[in-house]
Amino acid sequence: MATTYHKTITAVGLIFLFHAAYSAAQHRSFLRLTEQEFTSLPVDVIVQGIVSLFLTMYGVMYIAGDFKEIRATEELQSKTWETQRNLPSFYCFNHRGRLLRSYS
Amino acid sequence: MHWSEARDLVRKWREDNARKSQELVEIWESTLKDKVHKLGDEQFQVLEQVCIGAIDCHRIDVAEYCLKKLTSQFKDSSRILLLSAMEFEAVEMYDDAIEILDAMIKRDETNPAPRKRKIAILRSRGRTIEAIKALTDYLKRFAIDQEAWQELCDLYLIEQEYGKAAFCMEELILHNPHNHLFHERLAEIRYTQGGFDNLESARSYYCQALKLNRNNMRALFGLYLTAYSIATSQKCVSAKKKEAHSLMSWAMKRISQRYKETAADKSQIDALEGLMGSLQLGSNSNL
Repeated sequence: MATTYHKTITAVGLIFLFHAAYSAAQHRSFLRLTEQEFTSLPVDVIVQGIVSLFLTMYGVMYIAGDFKEIRATEELQSKTWETQRNLPSFYCFNHRGRLLRSYS
Repeated sequence: MHWSEARDLVRKWREDNARKSQELVEIWESTLKDKVHKLGDEQFQVLEQVCIGAIDCHRIDVAEYCLKKLTSQFKDSSRILLLSAMEFEAVEMYDDAIEILDAMIKRDETNPAPRKRKIAILRSRGRTIEAIKALTDYLKRFAIDQEAWQELCDLYLIEQEYGKAAFCMEELILHNPHNHLFHERLAEIRYTQGGFDNLESARSYYCQALKLNRNNMRALFGLYLTAYSIATSQKCVSAKKKEAHSLMSWAMKRISQRYKETAADKSQIDALEGLMGSLQLGSNSNL
């Protein structure tokens, strides 16, 4: 179930993710200005990106709703013959129901 | 009841395809009628559902009301026409209903609904043989219509054509290999047919039904009876007899286990034991 707790986690994760992206862009422009060669991103930006990605994934998993059973039979377990045998497009109306109208 | 609760309940019935016509009309009159505009786009589905329910209860006044509301929204819809044909059916003016349905078929040959209604009318009039013929013709055109296969199976069962009914059930199993109810039903048909080979096949289908749903009580009882009949059959070789006996004791064990889990007091378990005794006697006389 989507609680405020999981919503907060998702929001925080997303903000961190954007922050990591912004830091990376900043780093690139800093390198361009100081005319240095680009080798790799600083470790803290990479770590922040990965951690916030997992944080967001964790939060989204709870917000998206309950998981469905993967086995095909699971959904049919609770079905009964009572509803299975009922065919709406072949209803016949000439049954005794009309004589039970006393409640109206 | 609050209108949102009523909406959820009605939606559940619609999705499960439960035929709760009387309850539906009661809920409609007590709660939903005044609040129907709050349902948004769902209101038209609810109106259609209530209309069919009202026709089913022979509450023509309610049906008329729903139909009027729907007509004002959708002037020339085939679903509305279908509802008005159903209303004619309910008051047994079948010729007028068929007239509407024929016009609908002429207008759109690919619409299966009016063809199905015509078959239902044949059944209402008690002309089962004609209904079967019409339905087989229908299935030649619309071979993937599962409802129609199921209806054909029912019609064959009315006529006691068990072999053909079994064929329809097999078709349904091909469509839904994971539905335990169809396996159980086919097993029941085979068991009713009788004879050693049919009993063998009934046993396998009961087993498959139980494999798909361990808690299918009807299949457990069916398996017990089938295994009993196999074990006491004269054609049965001793190896199969042994297998049938082990199946019997397994089914018995499962049944009593289930009863112990849910039974409120001991008298129910005693009643079960008495029942199992009489079931054996009953099936003995059939052989």
